[in-house]
Amino acid sequence: MPSKQEIYDKVVATLVDSLNVDPEEIRPDATLQGDLGAESIDFLDIVFRLERGFGIKIPRGELFPESIFQGDPEYVQDGKVTAKGIELLRQKLPFADIDTFAQDPQVNKISDLFTVEMICRYLEQKLQAEEATAQSAS
Amino acid sequence: MRLQGQVAIVTGASRGIGRAVAELFAAEGARVAVVYRGNREAAEQVVTAIAQRGGIAKAYQVDVADFAAVKNCVEQVLADWGQVDILVNNAGMIQDGLFLQMEPEAWYRVIQTNLHGTFHFSRAVVEAMFRRRRGRIINISSVAAERANRGQTNYAASKGAINAFTRALAVELASRNITVNAIAPGFIETDMTQAVRNIAGEQIQKAIPMRRLGKPEDVAKVALFLASEDSAYITGQVITVDGGLSLGGIGS
Repeated sequence: MPSKQEIYDKVVATLVDSLNVDPEEIRPDATLQGDLGAESIDFLDIVFRLERGFGIKIPRGELFPESIFQGDPEYVQDGKVTAKGIELLRQKLPFADIDTFAQDPQVNKISDLFTVEMICRYLEQKLQAEEATAQSAS
Repeated sequence: MRLQGQVAIVTGASRGIGRAVAELFAAEGARVAVVYRGNREAAEQVVTAIAQRGGIAKAYQVDVADFAAVKNCVEQVLADWGQVDILVNNAGMIQDGLFLQMEPEAWYRVIQTNLHGTFHFSRAVVEAMFRRRRGRIINISSVAAERANRGQTNYAASKGAINAFTRALAVELASRNITVNAIAPGFIETDMTQAVRNIAGEQIQKAIPMRRLGKPEDVAKVALFLASEDSAYITGQVITVDGGLSLGGIGS
């Protein structure tokens, strides 16, 4: 399995290609939309490139789930994510920094969860899980 | 050779506009997938004609209305040639009739072939284009989308939807260097327009400011422009190729 640094370097290279940004702009806490200017179609492109780069399959909606709350008042009220909504986020995005978000859970800041670091954590968990499956199979 | 090294899929390529597009693209260096539904002999003739002029083409049988079959077809093209650079959604049909008498089947069939067929092939090729960050999708529409003819509610609806689809898809794919444009031909001398031409040939000719029907090649040349690098900055447009028909211009 690649090291944390190897994963990070590969993610940086992927984002440079996909978003046409300079490597210097990419920091672990950089947000994909706000800082790096990603649009919806870029997320799909990033997924394709990560799949190829790491030789894994990323089910659609696993790394970048879309419209998690569907405007359901149980999860969002007055522009803020409810406690139940926070729980749902933890479920759907176990690799994101939900604790920081929960301190000021404004729904329009949800895109800030999608950072470079988040992608790396997702890949670490994914690759570990794949390795575990491979070992138990052999 | 404006399409050297490229791979093009042309639907409805066994005759008419599709055939002219396939032959012109092959003459410009593209490897061409000649997609046909029923007439194998005609499709093979196109392939042979292209080969005789030193071009490369192969016939693929598929009904554009069947998404599973379309997906298989695109996979086969990718297996054969490794890439798809250009898609020309040309396969289309008419089943004219006054709306008061139109059976749902006539409506469904025309929408299924013209509109859904365009969706099916676009959907099947888009990922390959997306990954390579290049692509040209060219939809063959019709002036009938904007200029109403009696007896063509189904056809006009299908072509109007293709124009809207062209614009909407163009916006989604623009950042990936994939352009999506449409051509709206007027009266072109093809099998599809033969019945109408037989009945109203002279009348039609008078209604066209250029006083002649279009040839499939007139449309193919515009398709070549849209497929080539020359049109790199054009997307989401519907280009009318009709000798002035849609301009009106009554009077002598």
